[in-house]
This record gives sequence, C-alpha cells and structure tokens, in this order.
Amino acid sequence: MAGWDDGDFQDEIRSHLAMAERDRIESGSDPETAFYATRKEFGNVTLTTEAARRVWTPRWLESVLDTLSDVRQAIRSLAKSPSFSLIVISVLTIGISLNATVFAVLKGLLVTPLPGVAHSGDLRVVMRETPGGRLLHLSYPDFKFLRDHDTAFSSLMGTMFRLEQYRIGRGAGSRPLSVEFVTGNYFQTLGVRAALGRTFVFPDETAPGRHPIAVLGHGLWQHDFASDPAIVGRTIEINRTPLTVVGVADAAFHGTVPAYDVEVFIPIPMLTEVGAPEISGDRSWNDVGANRHDGLLVAHGFLKPGVTAAEAANATDAIWTALAPERGADEQRERLHILRFWQSPIGPQTYLLPVLSTLSPMGSLVLLIVCANISGLVLARGISRRGDIATRQALGASRSRIVRLLLVETLVLVVPGTLVGLLAAQRFLALFLFYVDRLAAPQRMFFPVELDAITLGFAALIAILCAVVFGLLPALQTSRLNVAAVIKQDGSTRTGPRGRLRSLLVAAQVAVSLVLLVGAGLVGRGLEAASRVDPGFDDRRVIVAGLDLQQHRYTEESGRAFYRDLLEHMRSGGGFDAATLATYPPLAFIDTPTARVTIDGHAAQRGEELVARFNQIGSDYFRTLGIRLAAGRPFDDRDSETAMPSLIVNRTFAERFWRTPTAAIGKRVHIDGSDWRIIVGVAEDVKYIRLNEPPQLYYYLPLPQAYRSAVNLYARANTNVSAAIANVRARISTLDPDLAVDIVQPLSDARDVALIGYRTAAMMLFIFGATGMLLAAMGTYGLVSYTVLQQTREIGIRIALGATRVAVVRAFVGGGVRMAAIGALVGFIAAVTLTRLLGDTLFGVSLTDPRSFVQALAIVMGGVLLATVVPAWRATRTDPTIAIRHQ
Amino acid sequence: MALHSSGSDSPKDLLHGTLDMLILRTLQWGPQHGYAIGQTIRAQSSDVLQVEAGSLYPALQRLAKKGWVTAKWGMTEANQRAKFYRLTPEGKKQLVREESRWTQLVNAIARIMNPASEK
Repeated sequence: MAGWDDGDFQDEIRSHLAMAERDRIESGSDPETAFYATRKEFGNVTLTTEAARRVWTPRWLESVLDTLSDVRQAIRSLAKSPSFSLIVISVLTIGISLNATVFAVLKGLLVTPLPGVAHSGDLRVVMRETPGGRLLHLSYPDFKFLRDHDTAFSSLMGTMFRLEQYRIGRGAGSRPLSVEFVTGNYFQTLGVRAALGRTFVFPDETAPGRHPIAVLGHGLWQHDFASDPAIVGRTIEINRTPLTVVGVADAAFHGTVPAYDVEVFIPIPMLTEVGAPEISGDRSWNDVGANRHDGLLVAHGFLKPGVTAAEAANATDAIWTALAPERGADEQRERLHILRFWQSPIGPQTYLLPVLSTLSPMGSLVLLIVCANISGLVLARGISRRGDIATRQALGASRSRIVRLLLVETLVLVVPGTLVGLLAAQRFLALFLFYVDRLAAPQRMFFPVELDAITLGFAALIAILCAVVFGLLPALQTSRLNVAAVIKQDGSTRTGPRGRLRSLLVAAQVAVSLVLLVGAGLVGRGLEAASRVDPGFDDRRVIVAGLDLQQHRYTEESGRAFYRDLLEHMRSGGGFDAATLATYPPLAFIDTPTARVTIDGHAAQRGEELVARFNQIGSDYFRTLGIRLAAGRPFDDRDSETAMPSLIVNRTFAERFWRTPTAAIGKRVHIDGSDWRIIVGVAEDVKYIRLNEPPQLYYYLPLPQAYRSAVNLYARANTNVSAAIANVRARISTLDPDLAVDIVQPLSDARDVALIGYRTAAMMLFIFGATGMLLAAMGTYGLVSYTVLQQTREIGIRIALGATRVAVVRAFVGGGVRMAAIGALVGFIAAVTLTRLLGDTLFGVSLTDPRSFVQALAIVMGGVLLATVVPAWRATRTDPTIAIRHQ
Repeated sequence: MALHSSGSDSPKDLLHGTLDMLILRTLQWGPQHGYAIGQTIRAQSSDVLQVEAGSLYPALQRLAKKGWVTAKWGMTEANQRAKFYRLTPEGKKQLVREESRWTQLVNAIARIMNPASEK
C-alpha cells in the first residue's frame, strides 16, 4: 500500500472491531455488552484516523492546516468582541485608504505617466537649459542634428504640445482642442500603433507636399466622428487648414502630456500653415524650420539598453558642443539637459508632485498612528484576555503558540481592513480625479491612476507590516504572563514593561498628532490668508473674454484693425468704465514665458542671467485693472506700431537697477537682443503668477508694438455682472458674427478656478491632518482610560484609606500629562522640521506660525487631560468596596 | 505500560521506535492483521503491553510508508475479511538493526541499574 485511502482504512477498522467483538462473544459475553466494550476499548476512531492519515501528510501541509485552525479559532474569538474587531478594521481602513490613494497617484505619475506607452516611466526628455536653469524647447535644426548624431537613444522624436489653442471645424460648430505637432518618428519612438489606418512615417516629416495630414486621437474619432470606419482619407479642418486623416491612434494613447487628452497629431512642418501664436503669420516653414532661434520641440526617447544616464549626457553634450559655432554668443552657454519624464516642466506633474511629496510623509504619519492605535488596542485586549491565555498556558500551550495565535488574530483583522481600505481608496481617487477634472474643464483629462495589482500589493504589504510589527509587541507582552497571578484573579498585577510600552505609545501618539495638527493648522491658516491676500489689482466687475483671431483667418493687419474697433466699441455706448486687451491675465496661475533682458549701463556679471516675465497690453490696462503707476505714464496712442519702442517696468524692476521708480524713466532696456526700448512708466507690483510668490522682475510691452493674435479682452462693467457678460458677447458678435469666443466670465471666477488646484492640495493636507489627529486622540483616550481602569482597585484602596477624589484624580493627571509632555516635546521638534515640506502649498503664512503651534499644543494637551480626568473621576465615583473587588 | 501517541515529543520517539520494533518482530512469524498484532503483543508480554488501536494503526501506516511492511486484504481462519501485513526484505533488515540497538540499550541500562551483577 502506498498513500492514503480513507475508505480502505475505515474498512480495516470495521474488520478490527468485528474480530474483537466476536472474540468477546466467544469468551461468553452477551452481544450488546460485547458491542459497546469493543468500541470503548478501541477508543476514538476519528482521532486514530487523523493520526494515521497524518503519517502521510507532508510537514509543510501540516503547518498550513495548523494555521488554518488558528485562523478558525481567531475568527471565533474575534466574533465574540465585535467592537474591538470593528475599531481595528476601521482604523486600518483609514490608514490603508489614505496611503493607497497617495501611492496610486504617485505611482501613476512616476511609473506609468502615459497610458498606451509601454514603460513610459523610463521615457527621457531632452531640453535646452540656460545657465540660469530655465528649460527651453529645441529649434527644429538643432533637434534634427541631435537626432541624426545621437548614439545613446534608441530613437529620438520631437513634439510641441499646444493646450486648447486650436479649433476643429468652423464658426459656431467649432470647438477648441489640444494638438501635438510631431516629428515623423513620433509614434514609432513611443511604440504606439494605429487603431485604424496608419500612424506617421518619416517621409511625412521630410518629404515636401506630404505634410497636410493628421492622425486623430481615439477620443476625437469616437466623439466627433461617431467612430466612422471610413474616416481615413476624409478631410478635417484645424484652424481652417484642411488636413487629410491618415489614421486613428491606439485607444489607450492620449499623447505625451500626462493627464491631458491630445486629440489631433499633425506633422511639425504644418506648424506655420496651421499657425502658432508665437510665430508671425507670414513666415514659412522653410524659414522657421531652418531658424535656430525658434524653440519649438521637446525631444523624447528611450535610452538604448545598457546605456546609463551619464553616458547619454556625455553623448548629447558632445553633439551640442559640435553645434556651438552655429549658435549666437548668448546661446553658447546653454547646454542640453536630459530629464526623466516626471521632471519634464510640461504637464500637471509640475504642481501635483510637490503636493504628493508632502502628502506621502503625512500618509506615513497617519499610518504610524494607525499602528500605535492597533498596538494599544491589542495590548488592551490582551489584558482583558489574560484569563483565556492563562488557561491555555496552564493546559500546556507554549509561549510561541500563544504569540502565534494572537498574531493570527491581528492578521485576520488585516484582511477586511485592507479590502475596505482599498474600496475607500477607490472613492478617494474618484474624488481626486473629480477635482482635477474641474481644474482642467472644459478639457478632458485622462489620469493614469488606478488601483492595480501593484497598489493592491502595496496596501497588503503595509497592512501586514502594520499588524506584524505592531501586533507582535503587545502579543509578546501578553504571552509573558504570570499564570498563578492571573488565576488568583489579581487584577492589579502591573508588570513593568507593559506599563512602559503603554506610556511610550501615548507619548508617540501625542508627538505624531501634534505634527499633523500643526500641519493642518498651517494649511488652514494658509487658505484663509489666500482669500485675504491683496493681489495688487482690483478684479471687481471686470469681465474677461478670450479671443483668438488667427483661428479665424485674420491677418496681422486686419487683426490690428479688429482690436482698434473692438476697444472703441467697448468704451463707447455705456455699460463699461474701461476696456483693454492683454495677453496674460494678472495672477495667471500658469508659468507665463520669460525673456532675457539686458540693461543699458548694467554690465551682467559672469554667469548671471537676467530674465523677466512680461505681458503685452493695450492702452488703459492699468486703469481697467486698478493697478497704480509709481512713475511715468501708461501706454497710449503715442506707443503705436511705428513709434519709438517703449516699455513699462514694475517697481521691483525699477528699484533693482535705478533705486527709485522716477529714476528709471527714460532708461534703455534690450529684450532678447532686439532693439533698445525706452522705459516710459513704472507700475506698482502685483501678484503675477501665484498669491505666494516673492516680488519679481516684470515688464509690459505695448500691444501695437508686439502684435499677438490671441489675447484677452478685459472690461470693467458699471452694471451688474451677468448683464455685462451678455453685453460683451453681443458687442463682439456685432463686429464679427463668426468669431467664436469660448469663455466670457468675471475675472474673479477665473481666479477661483485657478485656485482649485491649491484648494485641492490644501484640502487633502487638511483631511490627512484631521484624520491623523482624530485617530491619535482616540488612541490616546483609549490607552489612558485603560490605564486608569486597570487601577480601579488601587483607586478604591486609596479612597478607602481616606484620600479625597481630587487628590486621586490629580495623581493620575500628573502621570498622563508627563507622558503627553514628553510626546509634545518630540512632536514640536518634528513639526518644526517637517512643516518645511509644506513650503509651496502655503500662502503668506510663516512655517513657524506661532498660532498654529499653540493651537495644536492646546488641542493635544486638552485631549490627553480629558482622556485622563474623565475615566479617573468615574473610577473615584465607584463604591470602594466594589472597586477593591474589581476584576 | 500503555503505548499511546499522546504526550510530548522526545519520549514519543523512543516509544514509537519501540512499538515499531515490536510490530516488526510480531510479523516475523508470518503475515498478520492489525487486531492479531495487538493480541499477539499482549499475549506474548503476558498482558503487560496493551497496544491501543490509536497507536497501532498509525504505526502500521508509518511502517508501510517506510516500505518495511506491505498490506493486502485476505480472509482469516474464521472466514473474516481482514487486512494482512507482511514484512518486506527491507523490513527484515530493519528488524535486525532494531534488535541489536535494543540489546545494546537494554545491556547499558542493566549495567547502570545493576552494577553488582557485572562483577
């Protein structure tokens, strides 16, 4: 016989019983007695079978079966204390969900930023970097040279991303969309296939006459063309330029800017024909494509297998040096910079990563509190289960067996905790995506964020770690029982180490919750400050409307005429006090471009690079937006296209080079190496990009001397806002009924929308802080009140011996406060160090804002006091005779 | 003395070994079924050793697993169907090893318990 056969074994036992029974009957016993005696003598059939079968079970299987029986036992015992189980599960849920959410978003941005592109986290980005650290696009000839000579990349493609600046269709039926102008090897480099037709090939970029084509994004094909299978070969119009569709990109692919949905891909040589705001309309591709000064492309590629980042940098440096003679003196100091994809300055990762890098340590802190909480709970439960455990020990269970049982109990709770936590994380992610979506509206967003196997594994890992490390300590404590003492019902046994562990847990929770509270307080105060901060301009009743003339086939000449007519039309006819045009809004919330400036008479230091942001503005700009002038005059009719080039700088600019605003008037400035411009005025500083920015150099150019086809109209209404919005639309359409205006809204709305990003960040920080604090408070309360309850007997004795209640309570409060004070001290130091991480997210609040610190300290200490006084006072109320018999 | 499988680890090993040896020894005179093995050990030890079924059957499984015995259903003289265990050649060698180990052990214990008799 080899192996186990249960039926056969039962047969054997039956045969044994039959023989034994017959022997008994033959030796004179009556059948009934023989039947029972035989079975009694044989003993437990199940146990015998079990033992016989176990001979054949491998050792590992045996331990698995043992563990399963532990799990069964754990579930039974946990079901008996549902409140303990529920609290541990919900605490775990909170910790897991917060951390899994942050992890999923971070992983999405860092590892899989581009859906539809394999290994997109490994993609590298190549840009020019000025000595001042600015990252710039590559010109087409520079890109070509790099592509042709580079040896480190498998393949290098170039792309130019334009958000919302192009329109598909004509007139009222048209709508804005995002476009990428790409080189011929774009799709091959990324490994993206066509869902229909073909993607681009190299000749689409290089062969003359092959350019007026487009590849559609899958979403555009689905929504605007109803997934028309005959789309290939049809013609679409982008900015009134006809393009033949050659294919539809893979459904999963959304372009190379994380989260944004690029809907049309066009060969880069079509750029001049379709038009771009930064390239004047009359330049041809022959000119732009050969000009080393037009920064157009960002290069992307995967490194060849085995090539390190340093080797790649050496290779590109060498190529760039070979190009040096071709470039101007200023550009010779630039170098090529290879960035990892997440470091790219294009896309939402630029503002999401700083927020996430603050959130992930906060998540860890919350997790720490969760662990401390579980530790405390398991410890407390261990104490209340001393009877059970002592019985097991008395019956011969080894210490390791008991520790294992307690550990299994904690692990059993981890499973539902993790599952519910992941479900909650899914909700959080949906909420997060909803906010990001509102931030991006009306643009569709595709966030590569999902709860995949890796996130699942991460959640399981932290949960198990949490349970093992923080369940093990108290389990070890609990298993170190004095059996005799417990059985004698001596409730007051206070072994040293257990008390110390409990104090440590209280101090740790106080420390961590202080850090989180300070963080949450700072963020809250920052948000409050953000709504109060003076941006330096007045946006009340100012209506903004976005115009793009190039999309409607205006030439520069007819565009200028349209601007003149529009401003005249707005200013006459009532309803508005003032109207103007400008390229960028004040407080833009996006990083507007910068330019290099050279000051007459100010020799640049070696390596110094003077750069400033700027705006092209029409006349009456300062009056319309309520910005005061510190010196000189605003732009007016004198600053016409043909007049002497003029310029207005801000106060910071004037004071940096000429000490006072008045002294700056009449001085000369170069912009990006063009003609000298004369300073005619100095404007007061306003907030240009963000509310929390430091003062920066800024200048204004007169719009007639720096024509732009895409501008915003600003008009200050003297009627109510909704009437004024309708009024603006009406006046634009009387001038040109075909001109589509996408957004007309109060300027303050635009600011609120822009603030959503910061609000989301602040909100998440606040949620983390508040959750952590709540958990810590609960944990502290539980631990402290448990300590007090443990000593009910001692309290009874003290009172019986004549101590007053107040004296007893005071003794306990002293102990609690001592623990809390140690924790607070540690937390204080940690908070001062850690809040530095908040940096950019705060508006106008000092990182050591005393109010936030004092507030946090008060809440934490108050919580601990409450947690001590209430149970201690309750304990003193019990009858001493009962208290002494407690437990 | 009762041979059973409960109790802690190390003495159990000794007992297992001893029980295994007794079973092998009993089978030396020919194939036997489980009940008869138990009865034989009891009779031969004049009722001193009573092997419980809870120890005997797992022990038989252990010996079968090691390949020292094989089992086969057959009929007893009383025409009762029973499973008969038979020593394999490997089992016979094992019995020889066990016997010499046992003799050594008994002699050693006897020398300790009874030093005078040696002289």
